[in-house]
Amino acid sequence: MWLSLVGKDVVVELKNDLSICGTLHSVDQYLNIKLTDISVTDPEKYPHMLSVKNCFIRGSVVRYVQLPADEVDTQLLQDAARKEAMQQKQ
Amino acid sequence: MVLLKSVPPPTEGVRHEQAETTAIMDGKGLGCGTLYVAETRLSWFDGSGMGFSLEYPSIGLHAISRDLSAYPQEHLYVMVNAKLSDENEAEMAENVHDDDEDASSGGEDDDDDEEGVITEIRFVPSDKAALESMFSAMCECQALHPDPEDDDSDNDFEGEEYDVEEAVPEHGQGDVPTFYTYEEGLSALTQEGQATLERLEGMLAQSVAQQYHMAGVRTDESNAEFEDGMEVDAGTTVAGQFEDADVDH
Repeated sequence: MWLSLVGKDVVVELKNDLSICGTLHSVDQYLNIKLTDISVTDPEKYPHMLSVKNCFIRGSVVRYVQLPADEVDTQLLQDAARKEAMQQKQ
Repeated sequence: MVLLKSVPPPTEGVRHEQAETTAIMDGKGLGCGTLYVAETRLSWFDGSGMGFSLEYPSIGLHAISRDLSAYPQEHLYVMVNAKLSDENEAEMAENVHDDDEDASSGGEDDDDDEEGVITEIRFVPSDKAALESMFSAMCECQALHPDPEDDDSDNDFEGEEYDVEEAVPEHGQGDVPTFYTYEEGLSALTQEGQATLERLEGMLAQSVAQQYHMAGVRTDESNAEFEDGMEVDAGTTVAGQFEDADVDH
């Protein structure tokens, strides 16, 4: 599911209220996220960080990831999530 | 304040070592020293042997900053989910909340919840070309320290909680459909299955001829093992099948 999102622009909101916009470079099994081409979304929520190129975000600090609605096939996402949930149970 | 301890630098599992690296913690310069990106923790020590260590689970984010207009030097930015105090290392994130003076993120300290306490550290190497490998080494080490997730882990395929009852759609049986041998099947029969078996056996008993004793031995009598109880006219079958085989030369 995540693999289809690589290359898309996402906004990652962290649990400490920081929001970072960038291009999803990669995701690993722990949902650690690598973003490239970071930019500011919400200056108030944006850390003193400044504009970085590459950023690695630990999975445990991510509150959620905002996906651009038009770039994501929600039906596909639902199906994939359902499949994963069923696979989990086996 | 700033945590500086006299702890020996890590000797094992050092993925990357970067000398001549200045450390700035929450805007306070700590001087020039050596950064050790080890598999166990991230450490930095200055020339006199004083330094600090960070546990990877406490590092929320790290990044390479190349924008000189925002900060005058290219550096490795590290955001730690904790406030570093004198006694504690970065693990003790929950406790420390009394720091007002550390303007880590501008005006953000007001609406602090337990997650909002962070420390920003910048590592400025004299060799800017090393930033990529410093970044990569940290990424690798982060992957070595995943968080234990207690709930809703979609990466876990252990699945002991598989509820068979709700997974099987109304078959009346709690078992994954499979084929049983006769012996196994007998013991695994449900009540319904048992009733079915008795019924079929009754049908078999009725349709079988006297000579049918041993399974597998094909007598002239009909093979009565068909479940639908269809009777086969043995005579016709035998004669019909081998009609052309009995031609006398």
